[in-house]
Amino acid sequence: MRRTALAAAVFLATFVALAFLALPVCSIFLRVSPGRLAAQLGNPVVADALVVSLKTTVVAQALILLLGTPAAYMLASRRFRGRSLLVTLVELPLVLPPAVAGIGLLAAFGRSGLLHTSIPFTELAVVLAVAFVASPLYVRAAIAAFEGVDANVVAASRTLGAGPVRTFFRVVLPLARGGLVAGAALAFARGLGEFGATIMFAGSLRGVTETLPLAVYSQFNVDFDVALAVSALLVLVSAALLVTLKWLPSASTLRFRFVTSS
Amino acid sequence: MTLLPALAVFAAASLTNVLPQIDAKQHYSFGGSNLLAAQIQQGAPADVFASANTAIPQKLYDAGLVEKPVVFTRNALILIVPKSNPAHIHSAYDLTHDGVKLVVAAPGVPVGDYTRTVLHNLGLDAALSNVVSNENDVREVLAKVALGEADAGFVYTTDARTVRGKVATIGIRWSAQPIVEYAVAVVASGQHRAAARAFVAKLLQVAAQKKLQAAGFLRVR
Repeated sequence: MRRTALAAAVFLATFVALAFLALPVCSIFLRVSPGRLAAQLGNPVVADALVVSLKTTVVAQALILLLGTPAAYMLASRRFRGRSLLVTLVELPLVLPPAVAGIGLLAAFGRSGLLHTSIPFTELAVVLAVAFVASPLYVRAAIAAFEGVDANVVAASRTLGAGPVRTFFRVVLPLARGGLVAGAALAFARGLGEFGATIMFAGSLRGVTETLPLAVYSQFNVDFDVALAVSALLVLVSAALLVTLKWLPSASTLRFRFVTSS
Repeated sequence: MTLLPALAVFAAASLTNVLPQIDAKQHYSFGGSNLLAAQIQQGAPADVFASANTAIPQKLYDAGLVEKPVVFTRNALILIVPKSNPAHIHSAYDLTHDGVKLVVAAPGVPVGDYTRTVLHNLGLDAALSNVVSNENDVREVLAKVALGEADAGFVYTTDARTVRGKVATIGIRWSAQPIVEYAVAVVASGQHRAAARAFVAKLLQVAAQKKLQAAGFLRVR
């Protein structure tokens, strides 16, 4: 009796939680038909925002991978004083409210900021905002991935005569690949959704700095249908990224077998 | 003593400073009038809607969402530049110079529409090509200029007064000014319509009008 009541309660809680999470997402699609969605892709506001979003997110992603990978490797493989402080610093943007990130970027890179740059209102400003909020997701995952690489395998590679660079590219990177790709995908999705820091630091101008999330916001009070369509588009892209992420572990084990057998 | 409920007053961003001076007890939500209207259309629990134009409340009235709007104050536009004036702007005609970073409100936001009217009246439509950002309400324009990030922006004269010392103002001749009338309406679905009507009536009384004028708003004609 008691047990069935408990089971029912668990079932109910699960149902409420799942329904709560699924409802807003499903509602977007119930209110916008596929034909409408396709038609909105031809809407110049949406098309421009899509181009800006993809361009800035891809560039930000390249920066994150290029600078984040060595940083993560260093933090994962070295033990030194202040290391945990550095790791915390890297993770901080993850928990910062986006508006705080926007103020911080203005205080640093604004014209009257610390570095006196003329970056605000440019596409580069969007790239920096995206990189700032999204990079912790990648770096965190990369640190974990590098820490997961068996130190004996690395040592074996070195004793067999491979230099540190060769070892990194031929042994460490392939072994950490699953975690790295997962982190990169998460960072990409977060970057694509960036809103608060962008609107404060980069402003909003169609074709230059108006990304998809900014278009959702600006269209909300102009044409709710367009806002719905852009939202649907963002859901689809994010879902696609998440699904890709889901089958990454299998890809990484394949890779692992390939590496160890060669 | 009767305990009056606190009203949810959705009001134009340009009223941010003055409305709490008139009545500090209400719960205010300030933003672009068009954003607030969109929220009301989506069922936001507002009691009063005060817009920086008459067109948006009229549209809500036609849709049966608010009671008949009344004009309660007026305003005018002004050009602002950061105190340091990095782009050396001394009149609106300097706005067409290459490389000027002009920040305006987006079309559809009342002040964004007024800005475009002013530029058109001055024969300065070309200045729109120097726009680096379309903001969602007048206070975002104000912030970006006061911060020194933008070279110039159009705001209401009342907004410029709230950041004295950070911006310099450049007047716009009266013949180029649009008609900036603020209309307020009781939201039809509000829970406290009697109290909301009393709030609207209060805005039209002498005491409130004096505070509006002290803040730089103009008397209703």
